Amino acid sequence: MIDSVSLPLLKVDALIKEYGGQRVVNELNLTLKHGKVLGLLGPNGAGKTTTLRMLYGLIKPDGGEIVYEGRNFVRFRSDIKRWIGVCTQQDTLDEDFNVEQNLFVHASYFRPKVEGLKERVAEMIHQFGLVEVAKQTPRRLSGGYRRRLMLARSVIHRPRILFLDEPTTGLDPKARVDLWELIRVMKKHGLGIILTTHYMDEAERLSDELVVLSRGQTVASGVPSRVLGEMLGEHVVIIEVDSGRDVEIRDWAEIHIKNQPNMILGELHLPMSAVQLSEFSTNFEGLRFQVRSPNLDDLFQRLTQSQANGAEP
Amino acid sequence: MNRIFNDLVALFDWRTGMVLRRNAKVYMRNWKTAFLPPAMEPVIFFMAFGMGLGAFIGMMNYEGHEVEYGTYVAPGLLAYTSFSSSFFEGLYGSYIRMFYQKTWDGMLGTQLELRHILWGEIIWAGCRGGMNATVVMVVLFIFHSLDLINIYWEKMFFLLPVCFLAGWAFGSFAMIFTAIVPSIDHMNYPVFLIGIPLGLVSNTYFPLEARSPAFEDYLQLNPLYHLAELNRGILLSGEWMPHFIGLLLSGGTLLLFCMLISQRLMERRLLED
Repeated sequence: MIDSVSLPLLKVDALIKEYGGQRVVNELNLTLKHGKVLGLLGPNGAGKTTTLRMLYGLIKPDGGEIVYEGRNFVRFRSDIKRWIGVCTQQDTLDEDFNVEQNLFVHASYFRPKVEGLKERVAEMIHQFGLVEVAKQTPRRLSGGYRRRLMLARSVIHRPRILFLDEPTTGLDPKARVDLWELIRVMKKHGLGIILTTHYMDEAERLSDELVVLSRGQTVASGVPSRVLGEMLGEHVVIIEVDSGRDVEIRDWAEIHIKNQPNMILGELHLPMSAVQLSEFSTNFEGLRFQVRSPNLDDLFQRLTQSQANGAEP
Repeated sequence: MNRIFNDLVALFDWRTGMVLRRNAKVYMRNWKTAFLPPAMEPVIFFMAFGMGLGAFIGMMNYEGHEVEYGTYVAPGLLAYTSFSSSFFEGLYGSYIRMFYQKTWDGMLGTQLELRHILWGEIIWAGCRGGMNATVVMVVLFIFHSLDLINIYWEKMFFLLPVCFLAGWAFGSFAMIFTAIVPSIDHMNYPVFLIGIPLGLVSNTYFPLEARSPAFEDYLQLNPLYHLAELNRGILLSGEWMPHFIGLLLSGGTLLLFCMLISQRLMERRLLED
């Protein structure tokens, strides 16, 4: 007998979605294990939200297969939807009910019923720091509280997998960090999470594995450090534009790195490998520059640039 | 075919019941404010039409016997209330929940499917029609007690389930417009071009004669016409069975047909399908 926990929580094979004849998700493969966080990254239009919507059953794929714990999503849709929690980018709280009632009403949309619902609601209110606003309606809540309620609501029915679509967009830094902590606790409890985000630090901190999408395709995947290494190299060289040699540097980058540097606040940021760094220092002897480790912002810049140029990332 | 079958049997699914329960809970919290307008509307309409206009019209011929215009229009008011309450709830109430409050989006992230939400909204719209019709019945009973109208009020109880069920059809009809209007301002089109004309040209406030086969077809296919005539037949002791059957056929067809159409339109709107 196959133990359901030994199977991947989610396995996606060759997922396709087309709009107007154009593929927005192109033969995407994903695997998520229990208790892990998979970060989906990519610029606007990369297909992250569309992918998520197919995975939780809001829209139908045009091809491919979605399997939860060995069960096909199409065949066991209703049963599987009982295991799924969804926290969308946009708040979808029920404005006609207060915080506590939102949790009760949302739980009523699942069968089998949530066991010990009253206790579960009290637990969620406590765990998500909603005690002081429990009797308030969502419209009176701050952005941080609304997101917390969205998150609490998405797990009220004890799902096995949680979809988080840009969960911290628009929050202040304190609220973001608070939410990260809540996500970390949920992961610790064995929940599998698929996260999309624009915040690179968020993806780095929360994800066990990253999948980088560009134009609906996976362009890199793996643990965050490996993804960065594969996509960018080990170093980022920073040169001030007024060094007087920026044209020369751009030409060199075009030939040796096959990419243009990113321009950020009057500085050229140029990701490269150790070998390329060595060549760069030889070639630009006497030039003052700094070297730092690459981060996901560099990757994001690279993807956005590639997408704009229509080139491969 | 399987898809159509699934859409239709979703009516009996527990998930449809949850949507209905959610809307009923919200209504029950605001019932005092929700109760007053339907109670006032027939009073105002009766004063305007029954007493005001009726004073100029005098007696009317209904199936061979003379009745005062106020008595003639009372069953029509009941039908119009059932229609307008469910039609407007299906238009505005559902649109607000779908578009502004994003209540449906929240539901779609659960085990609920779009078809359950639509059925829940349609039945809820019908319930609003039925509940408001109940309020009108109380008002008509008071009018009858004050000798302002002369109806068989004790037969009104039979009309109660009919008003609920007819409301389902009107709610389903409204859902098509809810699915296609781009913004709430565009609701004026279904309201003024379809809702109000249909509400008036259905034997509700004045009798219509079928002057052409096309107009006769329109009346026979119009559940509101059958509802108004059924109410009149019951409350004024006229012929009602043909209208009861007519209402079941036209209302049932409208309900199922519009539900299936609105399901497809909503899929396109909400699920980009």
